[in-house]
Amino acid sequence: MKTLINIENGKKVKILKISGGKGIRQHLQCLGIHIGDVVTLKKSSFLGGPVLLEINGYDIALGKGIASKIEVEEIE
Amino acid sequence: MKIAFIGQPNAGKSTIFNGLAGYKTVTANFPGQTVHYTVSNVTVGEETFEIVDLPGIYSLTAIDKAELESRKFILSGKADVVINVIDASTLSRSLELTIQLAELQVPMVICLNMIDEAKRKGLEINLKKLSEVFDVPVIETIANKGIGLSKIFTSAKEAFYKNKIPKIQHFHKDIEEKIEEIEKIIPSKLLPNIPRRYIAIKLLEGDAELFEDLRDYKELILKINEIRDEIKSSHGRHADTVISSERHALTMNIFEEVTKVGEPIKSAREKLDDLLTNRFLGYPLLFSILFGIFFLVFEVGKLLEEPLVHIFDSLIKRLPEYISENTLTFYIIKGLLEGFAGGLGVAIPYLIPFFIGLTILEDVGYLPRMAFLMDTIMHRIGLHGKSVLPFIISYGCNVPGVMATRILESPRDRFITAALSVFIPCAARTTVIFGLVGAFIGGIAAAGLYILNLLVIMTMGAILTRFIPEITPGLIMEIPPLRIPTLKNVFMKTWLRLKDFTVVAWPLLVLSSIILSFLEFLNLDSVLNQIFKPLVSWILGLPEQTGITLIFGILRKELSMIMLFQALDTTNIGQLMTKTQIIVFTIFTIFYLPCIGTLGVLIREIGIKKAMLVTILTITVAVFLSVLSRLILETVF
Ligand SMILES: Nc1nc2c(ncn2[C@@H]2O[C@H](COP(=O)(O)OP(=O)(O)OP(=O)(O)O)[C@@H](O)[C@H]2O)c(=O)[nH]1
Ligand SMILES: [Mg+2]
Repeated sequence: MKTLINIENGKKVKILKISGGKGIRQHLQCLGIHIGDVVTLKKSSFLGGPVLLEINGYDIALGKGIASKIEVEEIE
Repeated sequence: MKIAFIGQPNAGKSTIFNGLAGYKTVTANFPGQTVHYTVSNVTVGEETFEIVDLPGIYSLTAIDKAELESRKFILSGKADVVINVIDASTLSRSLELTIQLAELQVPMVICLNMIDEAKRKGLEINLKKLSEVFDVPVIETIANKGIGLSKIFTSAKEAFYKNKIPKIQHFHKDIEEKIEEIEKIIPSKLLPNIPRRYIAIKLLEGDAELFEDLRDYKELILKINEIRDEIKSSHGRHADTVISSERHALTMNIFEEVTKVGEPIKSAREKLDDLLTNRFLGYPLLFSILFGIFFLVFEVGKLLEEPLVHIFDSLIKRLPEYISENTLTFYIIKGLLEGFAGGLGVAIPYLIPFFIGLTILEDVGYLPRMAFLMDTIMHRIGLHGKSVLPFIISYGCNVPGVMATRILESPRDRFITAALSVFIPCAARTTVIFGLVGAFIGGIAAAGLYILNLLVIMTMGAILTRFIPEITPGLIMEIPPLRIPTLKNVFMKTWLRLKDFTVVAWPLLVLSSIILSFLEFLNLDSVLNQIFKPLVSWILGLPEQTGITLIFGILRKELSMIMLFQALDTTNIGQLMTKTQIIVFTIFTIFYLPCIGTLGVLIREIGIKKAMLVTILTITVAVFLSVLSRLILETVF
């Protein structure tokens, strides 16, 4: 299963599942990140660094730990 | 009429508030600038409005302490009208909060701010349609340019007098049934002034605080959990996820109904942004930007300082010509002049360029980018990127720096970040570093002290993390677009920060100088110095007159230096102290004891016990570093 940390720069992906505890899940939901949303990877993780996503027209940075808990599939 | 500004972080609430109330609170281009609320009275014509600026919240499920503060205020029912400030360029997400606010059934106005940004993104919002969806007034503003702000009060009045209670947006039928089921069983004593629907939905979402309020109703909790499980099995997702998706779907529908999406305007901003956070170039740029500010503060400060100090010096030297020496009046006037000179001559020249630099960094939106770049490094000391924000703010002043730790999610991260923030050389200590080490030894030595300070903070972070090994939740942060700061905002914010210095610190400087003069007149200063002699002279190797200055430094750190000029009776410290002594004195001043103001917020934010722990830590580190640097420097020079 691919997560946000195995995606290359510039790729579009669809969020399939957010694992991890309720804390992370709710935090992401509050920020407007939901299952089924399509996000663009603006900066992929580099040497354990965070990822930068664009979702519905705004940017969100996610640490590597959190990014690794978000399962995604690439879309064309 | 009490009006509360509520909206998601970085939507422009504080900018609107300042536009209406005069510049009273700090705004900045990062989510989580405001961490406590500010109230102001504004009179328009006959009517007086009490307006409240609140910390931004993404949702009514509070994630961090700052958000909790907002939520508490909203639920307290104190607001007569809620103005929901929305960043129009992120309308679809922002409406998720609006839907929740509607559930509170308080008269509301929707204020679409940042219309300029929305246009850039190609969004065209139909106000009339949006107004029909929620049945409340909708207005457009561009707050940083002051456009549309006059409509705020008229629309608030309309909402209040016509009782414009927002229309509830309904979920799918099966969820609505569950909500109704819970509404019926909520005890009437629980938050009696809050609509049942709001409570029911939050309970479905598993809201920790509400569950805490219900802890005595064991059966009720069981029943609610049962309902949540039913949703989970029928939808295949957690109840909170289902509610959140429902809300998301609702907002998407509203968004599509009220907005026309056209072509976004491409600009150089995206390219610049891409460069600033580039995995390779981002770091040298970060270094250059910080070094640039440092250099600017140093050069501009020096340029201003020299002539100013000179004027006061000659004035003080000529004083005996007018008043006979060794009289009390002479001492008092001398103290007054010296305190005044310290503020104007030594502190302000460095403070002005420093605050301007900091404001520009904040307003451009560079801070969240720094958080992004530094995330990996912060993990090394057991924190995550967001802690960079309190750290940078601490360079301005530790007080808002410690308060900014409220944007962190876990208590552990808050404690470690607050403890480390106290070690960051604030503007006051910056004046000491520049005014002593910079002026008498050189810019490189001053830069060296900043680097030493960073290394010490990293080391201590690494040590503290060992003691509290719990892992940090990790970075989750919105990165707002880069913005061009308005001249007015930079000016007003610098002024706001300087005002704090001129109205609080400066009088204190003058007063302390007079007290010191008075002590000198009575020869009491030497008594105090004797008490501190073991530490000051024997351990630190400093002239014994410096003892008293270190005591004053607890009030405000710049006092130490200004008192030093007075205690040694010269502004040319270089003649009376060796380079080693100047460096040791400065290092000690940077690290020992947070000033009174910082200690106050530290106690409030992390509790008295932990604050004491931090205080002891600062003294230990200060003595250790001073002795170490003394030993090293004495062998070098
Ligand atoms: N382009 C544009 N920028 C704006 C507008 N209104 C505010 N800003 C800028 O947006 C940034 C955020 O404004 P703030 O007023 O601090 O936002 P806030 O809602 O108080 O944010 P928090 O306190 O973090 O919740 C600042 O840099 C403002 O100068 C606007 O209408 N257009
Ligand atoms: Mg604010």
